[in-house]
Amino acid sequence: MKLIKAIIRPNMVDNIKEALGKLNIAGMTVTEVRGHGRQKGHTAVYRGREYEVSLLPKMEIECVVPDASVDEAIKAIIGAARTGEIGDGRVFVMPVEQGYNIRTGEKDV
Amino acid sequence: MASWIAMAPAKGRDVEQAELRLRLSASLDLARQQLIDATERGEGGRAALGRYAESIDGIVRELVERARSQSRTPLAVFAVGGYGRQSQFLHSDIDLLIVFGGPLGRPEERFVKALLHPLWDLRFQVGHHVREHTDFDRPDTTNPEYLLALMDLRPLAGDQDVIDHLDATLKASADVWRPMVLDALVTLTDQRHGEFYDTLYQLEPDVKDGPGALRDVWAARLMLRLGGDRRGGVRGASPDRLREAEEFLMRIRSGLHVDTGRNLNVLSYELQEKAVDRLGYAGPDMRRRVEALMTDYFRDARSVTRALGRVRRAALPPLPTPIRLVDDNLMCVVEGINFADTSKATSEPAEWLRAFEVAVSRNVPVADDALALIERELQKHNYQPEVFLATAGHQIRLLQFLRPRPGLAARLGEMRDCGLLGAIFPELHEISCRVTRDFYHKYTVDEHTLLTVRNAERLLNNPRFASILHEIRTPELLVLALLYHDVGKAREGDHSIVGAEMAVAMTARLSLGSDARQTIDFLIRQHLKMSRIAFRRDTEEPEVVRQFATLFATEEHLKLLLLLTLCDVGAVSPDTLTSWKEELLWRLYVDAYNQMTMGYGDDIIDRDQALVAALQANRPEDITEREMATFLEGLPRRYLILFSHEAIYRHVRLSRDIRPNEAHFFLEKKAEVWELTVVSLDKPFLFSNICGVLAYFGMDILRGHALTSLAGLAVDVFEFADGDGFFERNSMGRKEFDRRLDEVVSGRTDVRSLLRSKEGSVLAKRTLLRRTPSVYFDAAHSQRYTVLELVADDAPGLLYRVSRVISDHGIDVDLVLITTEGQKAIDVFHITQAGAKLTEAAEASLKADLERMLQEASEERAPEPRDS
Repeated sequence: MKLIKAIIRPNMVDNIKEALGKLNIAGMTVTEVRGHGRQKGHTAVYRGREYEVSLLPKMEIECVVPDASVDEAIKAIIGAARTGEIGDGRVFVMPVEQGYNIRTGEKDV
Repeated sequence: MASWIAMAPAKGRDVEQAELRLRLSASLDLARQQLIDATERGEGGRAALGRYAESIDGIVRELVERARSQSRTPLAVFAVGGYGRQSQFLHSDIDLLIVFGGPLGRPEERFVKALLHPLWDLRFQVGHHVREHTDFDRPDTTNPEYLLALMDLRPLAGDQDVIDHLDATLKASADVWRPMVLDALVTLTDQRHGEFYDTLYQLEPDVKDGPGALRDVWAARLMLRLGGDRRGGVRGASPDRLREAEEFLMRIRSGLHVDTGRNLNVLSYELQEKAVDRLGYAGPDMRRRVEALMTDYFRDARSVTRALGRVRRAALPPLPTPIRLVDDNLMCVVEGINFADTSKATSEPAEWLRAFEVAVSRNVPVADDALALIERELQKHNYQPEVFLATAGHQIRLLQFLRPRPGLAARLGEMRDCGLLGAIFPELHEISCRVTRDFYHKYTVDEHTLLTVRNAERLLNNPRFASILHEIRTPELLVLALLYHDVGKAREGDHSIVGAEMAVAMTARLSLGSDARQTIDFLIRQHLKMSRIAFRRDTEEPEVVRQFATLFATEEHLKLLLLLTLCDVGAVSPDTLTSWKEELLWRLYVDAYNQMTMGYGDDIIDRDQALVAALQANRPEDITEREMATFLEGLPRRYLILFSHEAIYRHVRLSRDIRPNEAHFFLEKKAEVWELTVVSLDKPFLFSNICGVLAYFGMDILRGHALTSLAGLAVDVFEFADGDGFFERNSMGRKEFDRRLDEVVSGRTDVRSLLRSKEGSVLAKRTLLRRTPSVYFDAAHSQRYTVLELVADDAPGLLYRVSRVISDHGIDVDLVLITTEGQKAIDVFHITQAGAKLTEAAEASLKADLERMLQEASEERAPEPRDS
């Protein structure tokens, strides 16, 4: 199993949910986050006063998928979240040793 | 079973006890089945629970009788707690108090075991206290729960002497323990409520321990018994209403015990669906049926909470406090604002609002007595809204009352609870306790609505948004829109549209002007728009922002929608408005604001667009299609949003036969302010000269727009205040104004000499500098114009001075937005020089001169503008 963590534009969550849903990946955790990568924020001007917007609002999506589905899932996320502009986000993949269902106590296979 | 064997060594006794166990078990099973059957019929309330308790009483009595042989000491057994109150639920514990009339020893221990072991074998959870009767001579004040349990003492079996002795002892020492029990009850109630974050609004409420649930019914009754009525009457805590609520809650709780097979009391989503079937809720679908159930639940929980609050306040000893008359018929007492003369108050319902006005102004509550009087009178009389809005004065007072201030939401909550809010705004009745069944709306619709108003109050302390709220000219419209933004949820259809339609009657009753009506309508219809775009659309895409900005007629509308959105999202649940969401909303606001003030100049009216078609379709006979089209050609699209059809048609008429050096203008009074519309052919110093004339007459320019078409037609609209009353004091004032304006625009009179001639001219006036002026150039937002934004302290003649400096630099003023927010002037100029954007050098030069002028105007005599 792998944990896929994607940092995306806030408006892309529905697209990614839909894309992963088509792969039968339904479970995910969505978190509001802030940060910056190469898109290091910008300066907003309001009534002549400048406001530094250094940390940009992003969404973080986490989902655990079987090893066999990782490549497809990554492809789906990138396809759904991509605009081609700076600030589209990042995808990280991490190994997961074990997973359990709290209600039933069953171990994920 | 071990306990039975231990208690019964003889074989014959074993048989006897086995028979007894079977008999009691059968009796209990029958009683339980009867309670289950009643519960399934939706009748698991007081009567069924009482019958079940009586069945248990019989079992306990028989076991006491059989155990008596173990001890010769006089004794009595009492039911306490819920069992003592005969509110015995299917899987609830039974609590017993065993009192002996002498010292405790082995025989008494055997008695206790002989009583309890059979009860345990019958699968009862038994809580028990064993005491000597002398223990009650000095009540155990270290155990508040135990003291509270004694309040529901009910003798079951034993010696009458022990029962009488305990009764007499408790009565004799009542003065000692009563205040302690009351304190313990208040403390325990607060702690219990704290476990539920002090709100009765739980998506999955605990019908036993939650705020407004069964334990609060009991607490209210007990406080009334313990505290009595120290203030001469607990008004409004209707015993009948409390009993009704209790019955409903009991039926639900009985169902939960049947469904879960345990003493579980949380009405979860899943169990709500079972409860609606059992309690006979009909409806087209499960969602609606559950919403109806939960609406009833919250209505009852709210009644219980109100009753508990009133009883609690009444139980506290009154503080010595001076009573002060604060109004004709209002006095300030320790509980808050009360009516001085109740018969007068009864006969003058239109004056009830005054109590809430005074309460808000002092940030104190309205006293229970006053609320009870209003509630009683509203129940007696079917007062229509017009009773409370009889005159223009009453309507204005209500609007002023609705301005966001600390305490407003709390007072509106009191008005809701006593019925006055619904009497004034009957549409709000439809959302009373209404539930929206989803996983994120924590509150009922009416509670959510009041929380939005509370959030509006809190914005006053928000470092980012307070200034925007202060800038709103009519903040009461924000509160009115908040009150009505979700009323449509009571009916079928898109609740934004339905709500806007429902608000029409309200705006008519309040005799709101057309601008205010449009604002309310706009805010209710669009109240979900900003959050949807901010949270779900890519707001870094300029087209998304541009489209969003086209929604708004004015910046004021944008600000109102931002504030409404913040208040609305923040009232969904305590955790919904995160700083993350706040940031997204703020950024969308800033981008839209900049688009509206700096980016609109490039967006020229398109001949084919729908707004033009509507204008042409409704065109009066005296205006031809060609005339209309020619007039609009080259004007910014925003012109169509800024002005009504009637205003545009008037502008078309003013533009007829216009020649160079002529100005066709129209002056009219609009409520408290004047509006001047000037149509002319654009030329250097035109805008500055008009501002100069207004300054000459001492007029304070509040808002305005100057728009120039690509063909050179200028439409300037100024809204100004005649603070010195020039027009009122001078019968020929308007003629004089017209003459001067005509002379200056035509060039026959130099406005500078006009201003110099005037004693106390604006040119000589200085102002106290409160904030550093901001002069900002933006060359990015518009393809055609350099945008100059100026933020400075408002001052007489400011706009004239600024525009004069700009014109002195040989710069053309093409578009202007004029705004005054309190003491702050915000003016945005779209400017060009020789038909192009300003060079960096030109910007720097203009900026230096503007800053110098602003500094000098505030510190010393203003310099003469340079000759043109």
